[in-house]
Amino acid sequence: MKETLIKTEKLSKSFSNGGVMQHVLKNIDLQLYKGDFTVIMGASGAGKSTLLYTLSGMDTPSLGTITYGGRAISDLSPDELAIFRRSACGFVFQQIYLIDGMSVMDNILSAGFLVSRDKKALIRHARELCKAVDISEETQKKFPSQISGGEAQRAGIVRALINSPEILFADEPTGALNSKTGLDVLDTLTKFNEQGQSVVMVTHDMRSARRGNRILYLKDGVILGECDLGKYVHGHRARHEKLSAFLTEMGW
Amino acid sequence: MRISFLLACANLRRSKGQTSTIIILILLAACMLNLWLILSMDYKQNFDRYHDKLNAEHVTLVVDGASTEMREFLIQTLESDERTTDFSLDDSMQTMGLFPYNNGELNSNLVILEKQTAVSRSVGRVEIVEDSAFTSGIYMPILYKSEDIAIGNTVKITIGNNEMSYIVCGFFNSIMGGSHNCGMCELVLTEDNYKALAEMGYAPKSLLCSVRITDKSQSEDYETMLKNIISSRYPSARKSSNSYTIVAQARYISQMICSGIISAMAFLILLIALIVIASNIANYIQENMKNLGVLKAIGYTNRQLTGALILQFSGSCLIAAMAGVGISYSLFPFVNTMMGSQTGIPYQIRFLPLPMLDTLVIAWTAVAVVVWFSCRRIRNAEPIVALRQGVQTHNFKRNHFPLEETNAPLSLALAVKTTLSGMKYTITVCITMLMLSLVIVFSGLMVENVITDVTPFLNLVVGETADSCVNVNGAIEKNFLDSLNTNEQVEEIYLYNTLAVSHTEGLELIAIICDDFSKITNQSIVFQGRFPKYDNEIAIGAKYAREQGLKPGSEITITASGKEASYIITGLTQMSNNLGRDCLLTRSGYERMGELQNASYYINVVEEVDIDTFHAEITEQFGDNINSTISILSVMNGFTAVYISLITIIVMAIFVLSALVIVFVLYLLVRTMLNNKKRDYGILKALGFTTRQLILQTALSLMPAIILSTIVGLIVNSLVINPLTALFLSSIGIVKCTFTVPVGFIAIAGIGLILFAFITACLLSLRIRKIAPKVLLAGE
Repeated sequence: MKETLIKTEKLSKSFSNGGVMQHVLKNIDLQLYKGDFTVIMGASGAGKSTLLYTLSGMDTPSLGTITYGGRAISDLSPDELAIFRRSACGFVFQQIYLIDGMSVMDNILSAGFLVSRDKKALIRHARELCKAVDISEETQKKFPSQISGGEAQRAGIVRALINSPEILFADEPTGALNSKTGLDVLDTLTKFNEQGQSVVMVTHDMRSARRGNRILYLKDGVILGECDLGKYVHGHRARHEKLSAFLTEMGW
Repeated sequence: MRISFLLACANLRRSKGQTSTIIILILLAACMLNLWLILSMDYKQNFDRYHDKLNAEHVTLVVDGASTEMREFLIQTLESDERTTDFSLDDSMQTMGLFPYNNGELNSNLVILEKQTAVSRSVGRVEIVEDSAFTSGIYMPILYKSEDIAIGNTVKITIGNNEMSYIVCGFFNSIMGGSHNCGMCELVLTEDNYKALAEMGYAPKSLLCSVRITDKSQSEDYETMLKNIISSRYPSARKSSNSYTIVAQARYISQMICSGIISAMAFLILLIALIVIASNIANYIQENMKNLGVLKAIGYTNRQLTGALILQFSGSCLIAAMAGVGISYSLFPFVNTMMGSQTGIPYQIRFLPLPMLDTLVIAWTAVAVVVWFSCRRIRNAEPIVALRQGVQTHNFKRNHFPLEETNAPLSLALAVKTTLSGMKYTITVCITMLMLSLVIVFSGLMVENVITDVTPFLNLVVGETADSCVNVNGAIEKNFLDSLNTNEQVEEIYLYNTLAVSHTEGLELIAIICDDFSKITNQSIVFQGRFPKYDNEIAIGAKYAREQGLKPGSEITITASGKEASYIITGLTQMSNNLGRDCLLTRSGYERMGELQNASYYINVVEEVDIDTFHAEITEQFGDNINSTISILSVMNGFTAVYISLITIIVMAIFVLSALVIVFVLYLLVRTMLNNKKRDYGILKALGFTTRQLILQTALSLMPAIILSTIVGLIVNSLVINPLTALFLSSIGIVKCTFTVPVGFIAIAGIGLILFAFITACLLSLRIRKIAPKVLLAGE
């Protein structure tokens, strides 16, 4: 029996666009489990990113509830949500979003110091994570404008993991990267997931989606279908075929 | 031009908030520039307008004695001088006297005229500006109109030692005698009262001589010449005089102080506005580098891009400056009332195109030049560099404040990083706070030395003060001194007599004659060299010495009572009440030229002695031999009330303006910072930073510059404020200023300024609440 991390009940999100209400998420009931690599797929405008940001407390739902560890986070104030995000969530963005005015290490530590009081332990942890994702000490001192996109995204992953979050949210993490560096980033996410890190990733890329063990397909604001791919094994053809069949079934 | 106009309109639409703030700063600067220009270009000319309107004299001489022989001698003297163009010679009475003024008393040389004579003189007539049905009483200068001195009220005037009561019939305007600052103060009595006073003999009969000359710039020379000739012929006759040059300055001292302060504030605010504009343009270029690169790439010229910014800022500036000019006219009645209480000359407010044009030209040119220079980055940037948002292919940026090496709390550490990365903001904040610390120190100086305790100001302006001044007949001087030296009520008594003397190669000087200058309280009157000790020594006003090329050690020849004597200058003095034209002589030194007919003694009484009772006692004891008694404190109260209220208003205005400047500058900086770093704030919120942390971090990022520049500004300005004030007051004879710098006040004001800036920055940063982490999705 898997442990539930996040649970939603009748989760809805609507936007007003020129006076016309647009319902982006419609009555979604969902559970995310500990240790899973959950992939949310769907066509553009399906509501993938909205679901990701609503689940992670970056946005608030219009209706319904989101529960994390038995606590409803959908009712929290903006500052309470910020405290929830810093301690329970990590974020990896498509546009990477490192802060330009800070070095790579400062970007990582600025998130770490929010939670950790033990400066030495934090710096040690940051260096270990950097080493794990192959960011050299020299790169750690550089500014985002001085490093490659792949290095920047790996630094983004380290920043997301610095507070050892329960769950890592990744929004199209390879979207802005070339094929080789994108693959490196996926390998990194897979590696951390294999070590027990829960990951929720939004993508519309089949190659990225294959890394997940659970695929959710979103269409017009509702979860149209779900596919269990099982544990990721590199080069496993059956997994690929199963995913292809699922996506074809979903109208991909 | 059309393209530049369209670009300017697009820029304005995108930066309404910043443009509004710059407009307000320019508006404030233009408002004060226009006030200053009205005060300096037209307000003072009002003196000349009234001078011409009333056909006023360039030189006034009042001389005791009204004999036919003296009249004929005067006529002959005036007619024989080819500089004389016209003159009036009329009967009057002249005496020292007192009347109530500003909750105190005014002590002045009163020149009393009969109404019909006063209004019908061909030269130097008075203009009745308020009249009534009362046919018997007194007309007072309009300057002294108050709740107490109003039409129908009874005013008590001490003439010599006799108190007279008159009904106030009305008020008049007199250019050369309508204020105590003229060296004489005219009073006009109705015929019956004039005759009655003349019969009583309380005030000696005198001749009032008003002369117009060909060249008013020679009025001081003419005055000296006239007095010398009269002194030679009538050495014992009491004389008082004034000249166009001195009166024109003396009646406008507060105008000079006020316009100086307004101009300083106007240029400070304009400078801050220009720095803010420069910083704004730098940010605009940084923010829009990519767009500028695109525009350059598709063929826009540097001139078109720069022209759009010049059009945008100078256009807004022109509108703001015009609004500022408009506001200055709505504030001017208040300034006019304030000034009028010192000048005593009514000023008709009207629209003045020249100050407005000057204001617009100054503001527009300054803004256009600053925009042109600030745009050099646009001109220098190659399109490809601009398209890369100014990022060079190779850059060697260094991290000067790594988080892993600091023990500071996170918010503070991130604030310091923001400070170090935003040098443009830092420079703007530093210059603003340096300017504001100057005005804070100046305000502190005024609060300490004028508002809370006026003594230092009086010491500087008046020279010496005491509780009482008693003028006695020289014949009983010894008895008087013997009596008062044994009087238990008297703490201290010393000779402090003021007389007019002439520098043979120069102008008339007011001589202060003292037995022993070591007895006087204010030992800082002589600020360079020393007081005269021997009969061949003199100390002279520093301003006059500078004008005449004299210095300590020089020899100077003085004339008094028709005799000449040479003296060695031992020191330089500064007192503004004679506009720097004064000298100090020992009694023995003066007696080389003439005897003192009457002697004025300064007296300090022991505590709890009522000065009026004391005066009554000595008047009773010595009778008519006491020529006058003056309660100096009461007189000073009257004089200083005008200055204290003026300075209080100026200090309050300075504090309000400083607060406004801080709010506007910080608003602009914080808003620009939030716009530029919106993405960073979104990222930090996504990472889990709370709004409160980010507000604190934003406010703290401005604090190093605010704290450092305020501390440096307060220290440096405290050290230079006295020389700066002396420079500011140099035209009224002040050369060295030794005001106490109120360290406590300045420290508290500095802390208040820093706290105010911090709270303002926090409040302005509240907009961070509106930045949601989901803005990161906006790019998709």
